[in-house]
Amino acid sequence: MIFGIKEIFRMWGNTRMIVLTAISAAVYASVLIPFKAIPIIPGVTEVRPANALPIICSFMFGPAGAWGAAFGNLIGDFFGTLGPGTLFGFVGNFLYGYIPYKAWKCLSGEEPVSFWGIKSWAKFILTVSLASGSCGLFIGWGLDLLGFVPFSALANIITLNNLLVSLILSPFLLFLLYPRVKKWGLLYTDILTEDELSNGRFSRSGLVVTILAVAGGLVLGNLISTGLMSSGAGLGGGSGVGLGVLPIIIILLIGASLL
Amino acid sequence: MSLYLYLNKNTFIHRLNPITKIICLLLLFAAAMFFIHPLYLLILAGILLVIGISSGTLENLRKLWILMAMIGIFSFILWSIFYRGPTVILRYRFISVSEESLLYGLGMAVRLNIMLFSGLIFLSTTRIEDFTAGLNKLGVPFSASFALSLAFRLVPMFLGTASTIIEAQKSRGLDLDSGNIFQRIKKHIPLLIPVFVSALRTVDNLSVALESKGFGAGLKRTYYLQYDFRTADYLALSFIVVLNVFILYLRLQGVGNI
Repeated sequence: MIFGIKEIFRMWGNTRMIVLTAISAAVYASVLIPFKAIPIIPGVTEVRPANALPIICSFMFGPAGAWGAAFGNLIGDFFGTLGPGTLFGFVGNFLYGYIPYKAWKCLSGEEPVSFWGIKSWAKFILTVSLASGSCGLFIGWGLDLLGFVPFSALANIITLNNLLVSLILSPFLLFLLYPRVKKWGLLYTDILTEDELSNGRFSRSGLVVTILAVAGGLVLGNLISTGLMSSGAGLGGGSGVGLGVLPIIIILLIGASLL
Repeated sequence: MSLYLYLNKNTFIHRLNPITKIICLLLLFAAAMFFIHPLYLLILAGILLVIGISSGTLENLRKLWILMAMIGIFSFILWSIFYRGPTVILRYRFISVSEESLLYGLGMAVRLNIMLFSGLIFLSTTRIEDFTAGLNKLGVPFSASFALSLAFRLVPMFLGTASTIIEAQKSRGLDLDSGNIFQRIKKHIPLLIPVFVSALRTVDNLSVALESKGFGAGLKRTYYLQYDFRTADYLALSFIVVLNVFILYLRLQGVGNI
């Protein structure tokens, strides 16, 4: 398989990975739910200290962390905000939990426990920025397409919310939790066999494509949404972001699957 | 007390097959997507209100009406600014509001609330196990629907654990209630560690318990809960399909635009 997503599907054959998916989702939802009361854009996004959790679950549990982020967000929507936007939230949060462990594996072979050097920090910041940006881009595009919230109002808020929370909290939580999880043999690399993990042959190309797609998508989406640039066509949403950013969304998904 | 929105009642909607409810929910979302003009969306909202009354779910609507009103107001304000129309009625620097943008904003506010209310009726009439069983019947692999169902069940347990840890720390003198909202969030963050560690302790026990009961054995699975399609399901599906076809016909005639 040329794509780097083998373990995303193969993990469903492993009971411990399935349980880790459920636990990641439940912990994420348990922290998301109390903060639903502090909205940034009512019904769409809120103050989310829980956003550090998909990042650390991704580093520790790999694909189970990715599915856990998607399921956790879905459960959060079951507290009154279930709608078509839930589908985009599901995929956006999946990317938010999927990109960190894949990008980190590609950028650095080290364990994501302590970031003492500038290089390690730079790699960590790039990893978290990519994950936050891809989540913001996908959800912002989807909800603009449905005509719920303009791209420039939502994508930037989600990206910044994810980025700030995860940059501040994830290193601290990883430092405390990663050694314990490793000792208990619950790291995804300890649970899944070599054969079940993707070989990452095209991961560097995937990383470059993902970086370009996230940066390009956010810039283009903002330009179209604020009226500084015309997409030439509108679909669903009033600002025309739907069709204008669609090619970049496809490129993002291809890039992420190559990671 | 249940954490979720499900209301244990015995109405026509409650008794429907979960697959019917999932399909009806998706088709209600689709119906709301066809119109842009708020007037036509309000007619659809009226139909939904009748469904809400007949399913006895208005008590949940009463709980969440402030959230829905806020969502509507926010959506109206945002789209009034971001949507661009030719009949400008207000311009201030780079912000312009047009007649069309006001109508569009109002339409989007109603559309968003129609969708949230559809979701609310679904959540109020469908148990979690029915929802995951419905997903399973619609082709979602059992392991994925099981993980989702397990996560739903674990949420109240983890919230309970978090509450116990908070009470234990308070009894040792930790002050979690003073300060502004951000200071209080900051004080709660370290409590994530014991909640997470306590959750991870269950992984091995749960995995062994599942495997000892044959989870992942790979044989054809049978189910305790059986869901039949009854006349009521066919009636509900027919109603929603006819509604969507009618709305699509109106839309193709140019009705419902701004």
